[in-house]
Amino acid sequence: MSEQVEHLIKKEYAAGFHTNIVSETLPPGLNEDVIRFISAKKSEPEWLLDWRLKAYKAWQEMSEPTWAHVNYDEIDFQAVSYYSAPKSMDEKPKSLDEVDPELLRTYEKLGIPLHEQAALAGVAMDVVFDSVSVVTTFREKLLEAGVIFCSISEAVQKYPELIKKYLGSVVPQKDNFYAALNSAVFSDGSFVYIPKGVRCPMELSTYFRINEQNTGQFERTLIVAEEGSYVSYLEGCTAPMRDENQLHAAVVELVALDNAEIKYSTVQNWYPGNEEGKGGIYNFVTKRGVCHTNAKISWTQVETGSAVTWKYPSCVLRGDNSVGEFYSVALTNNYQQADTGTKMIHIGKNTRSTIISKGISAGKSSNAYRGLVRINPGAEGARNYTQCDSLLIGDKCGAHTFPYIESKNPTAVIEHEATTSKVSEDQMFLCQQRGLDAEKAVSMIVNGFCREVFKELPMEFAVEAGKLLEVSLEGSVG
Amino acid sequence: MTDFQHQAIRLTSMQRPETWLESLRTKAADDWLAQPWPTRKTEHWKYTPLQNLQKTILHAWGREEVPLLDTLLENNLAPLNAYRLIFIDGVFDPFNSSKLPAEVVQFSKANEDQQAVVLKYLGTIIEGERHLFATLSNAWLDDGVLIHVPRNQKLDKPVYIVNVSTAAPVTTNQRVLIVLEENSSAEIVEHYFSADPVQQGFVNSLTEIHIGDNASLQHYRLNLEEEQAQHIGAVHVDLQRNARLRGFAIALGASLMRIDYQLNHRGQGGELDLQGVYVPRNNQLVDYHTNICHWVPHCRSNEAFRGIVGDSAQAIFNGRIYIHQHAQKTLAELSNKNLLTSSKAEVNTKPELEIYADDVRCAHGATVSQLNTNARYYLQSRGLSRSEAEVMLSFGFINELLEQIAQPVVHDYLQPRLAALFGRDNSLNEASSLLGDSNG
Repeated sequence: MSEQVEHLIKKEYAAGFHTNIVSETLPPGLNEDVIRFISAKKSEPEWLLDWRLKAYKAWQEMSEPTWAHVNYDEIDFQAVSYYSAPKSMDEKPKSLDEVDPELLRTYEKLGIPLHEQAALAGVAMDVVFDSVSVVTTFREKLLEAGVIFCSISEAVQKYPELIKKYLGSVVPQKDNFYAALNSAVFSDGSFVYIPKGVRCPMELSTYFRINEQNTGQFERTLIVAEEGSYVSYLEGCTAPMRDENQLHAAVVELVALDNAEIKYSTVQNWYPGNEEGKGGIYNFVTKRGVCHTNAKISWTQVETGSAVTWKYPSCVLRGDNSVGEFYSVALTNNYQQADTGTKMIHIGKNTRSTIISKGISAGKSSNAYRGLVRINPGAEGARNYTQCDSLLIGDKCGAHTFPYIESKNPTAVIEHEATTSKVSEDQMFLCQQRGLDAEKAVSMIVNGFCREVFKELPMEFAVEAGKLLEVSLEGSVG
Repeated sequence: MTDFQHQAIRLTSMQRPETWLESLRTKAADDWLAQPWPTRKTEHWKYTPLQNLQKTILHAWGREEVPLLDTLLENNLAPLNAYRLIFIDGVFDPFNSSKLPAEVVQFSKANEDQQAVVLKYLGTIIEGERHLFATLSNAWLDDGVLIHVPRNQKLDKPVYIVNVSTAAPVTTNQRVLIVLEENSSAEIVEHYFSADPVQQGFVNSLTEIHIGDNASLQHYRLNLEEEQAQHIGAVHVDLQRNARLRGFAIALGASLMRIDYQLNHRGQGGELDLQGVYVPRNNQLVDYHTNICHWVPHCRSNEAFRGIVGDSAQAIFNGRIYIHQHAQKTLAELSNKNLLTSSKAEVNTKPELEIYADDVRCAHGATVSQLNTNARYYLQSRGLSRSEAEVMLSFGFINELLEQIAQPVVHDYLQPRLAALFGRDNSLNEASSLLGDSNG
């Protein structure tokens, strides 16, 4: 069986091509001038430049976090280029017809339809290429409903009061090392605003692509759901195959006001490095949402890419009766390392949170769940349920669980369960005895293992996630 | 390096240790000074502040005279038919201790063969890097207890080591080394308590245990000290091939009560069961850190800790299970359950799994909650008062673990005392004594 598994794990990274396009890329290095350049490039108001510079000052005094269960060579932050954009994007194209066809081909190749007529009806897209947003589809239709969906640079120009009010309100500039770095140099990202009582008529989606060499991507996403509104947002990402490591340090902020609901799904497929562990993306992301009264935030993530992942989508359950959910499948193969999980901070009364985390490790990878459930003294009747399961494929990988549980209120009920096991021979035997080959059997078992999470994903994504898992696992059945 | 670290090392000059222990002491003293002092940012001390300990002025231990304590015998496990070693503030009390068998000896009275055993094992089971205070114990080493059971022998009676702390502000360094050779077995009870509610001293205790092939050990560690006590203790165990350990730990809570268990499976087929109970109240703190390491295949571990945290008390539990890449076919389970009975109480628990082998079955679970209101309602509907029902349910919660204590005297000693603990209100004494009797 092991040979078949070996074979299964080894499948190539399909999104690893590079687009030949003339780009304007800043020379590597970070200083105040770089920040001023980025800010000027986007014609930002004075206050935002000050905000960035403040973050930069804070960042200089901070040190890289070392507590995560990952190992990588020290990053030289002066060797990274902090801004890169296709030349053709200098003059902002007014419609899709003006966009460089080479760029469009990139997305076609990735299977991301940008022409509205070709697109899956019901999904609006914002596409970010290196440091800039290329295009946002279905804008008119969304505007009819009052929904704002555009790049964050555009939002700074058009809706400054909203940006001023919410930017940094969930993840402050000094929150952590990478958030501070992002706050200083963020180049683009998506902005979503759902007005009071509106149910967003379609799924919103952002696709991130890193293309240029030696660059980092630092995007910032801000989603504000006004009272009683609802939005489902999807995020996907890929990068070319390269021998050196590239940095991706994003910040995502969600604000769910009273009775609002935000569903945030991620399929993360950055380049994971090759079989020897060379290259790949360092994915250091800060994601956090604040729930006001009766609000709900649900994070769903499928993590299959990146050489190193450091990511903890969190919920601050500030309002009474608010709900936080976290569903995660993290798959690591070859030399990938992931330290991912969530934080649920219960502040309001009767707040509830659910954490379902499925970790799959194969090859020589390391996969850690790290979570925090904190019940503050005022969180009467808070409830948490956590389940973390790990599946090991191969005897050279590691699976770890580090759950922190802190309770300061006796009326809270917290449950945590974790198990670790391998794809059992009994399960394999049962499947094979019913006529499935080893490969299908493993795929079926792994899919079943992840089912609880996949069913939370929007339909198109669930299909993609399932396929991705098959691809990433290829060669790991043993 | 802090003043406390310096102060601690200065004490060593007042000791008169055995010369054959000198090299271990000197090395440890250097290590102790070289290690950084733990702060809130040190992962293993994240929730347990050491500021108060740092302010404590350490006084040398008196070696000369043993204070006589009348209360002593009331408090210990009188009915236990055992070899008794009684220490008062760390000083051996030959008057109240029993005549010791050949297997049990103080380091200072060890003959050459026994010295050889001590030199072979002492300090080899601890992992200094993770355990700062084990290093201190080595640096302070001037005497200790050796329990050495030779091949194919069984200690005919349990060994009962009593450590009493008085009001004297002295520092105690309690060291025990247990060596069970191949195919031997023993039962050992370590009991810490206070003779006086006022306690200003600091106790640093360390037990090293080597369980040889096919050997088996029952080990109890009772930390029943008063509220003001400051105690940092550790139990480090190596289990060889087919070795068995049944461990039980209990702590009432004190101003500082930190106990580490470091358990290493070093031979195939080892089995260990560890159970623990903690019941801090008022302003107390209990911190249990356990670390079970599976270095070899085919071993089994089962760990269960339960705690009831009331008033403004704080409980910390950190249970790590580490499975080395070679430790295939491991079975490991850990469970930690907590009851919070007051709005000011706090629990911080972290069950950890670190797994590098694929053919293993590991699970851990943790819960934090208050008493089940349905269960309380059920009891009330049967005519019990609310507080009686609460006493019964709280006690029942930890009694599940107490019931598994194999040594009947320890069981009978602990059960009524814990039952009484939850029946603090006088009117409830009847209920709690009833519980104690019926279960005892």
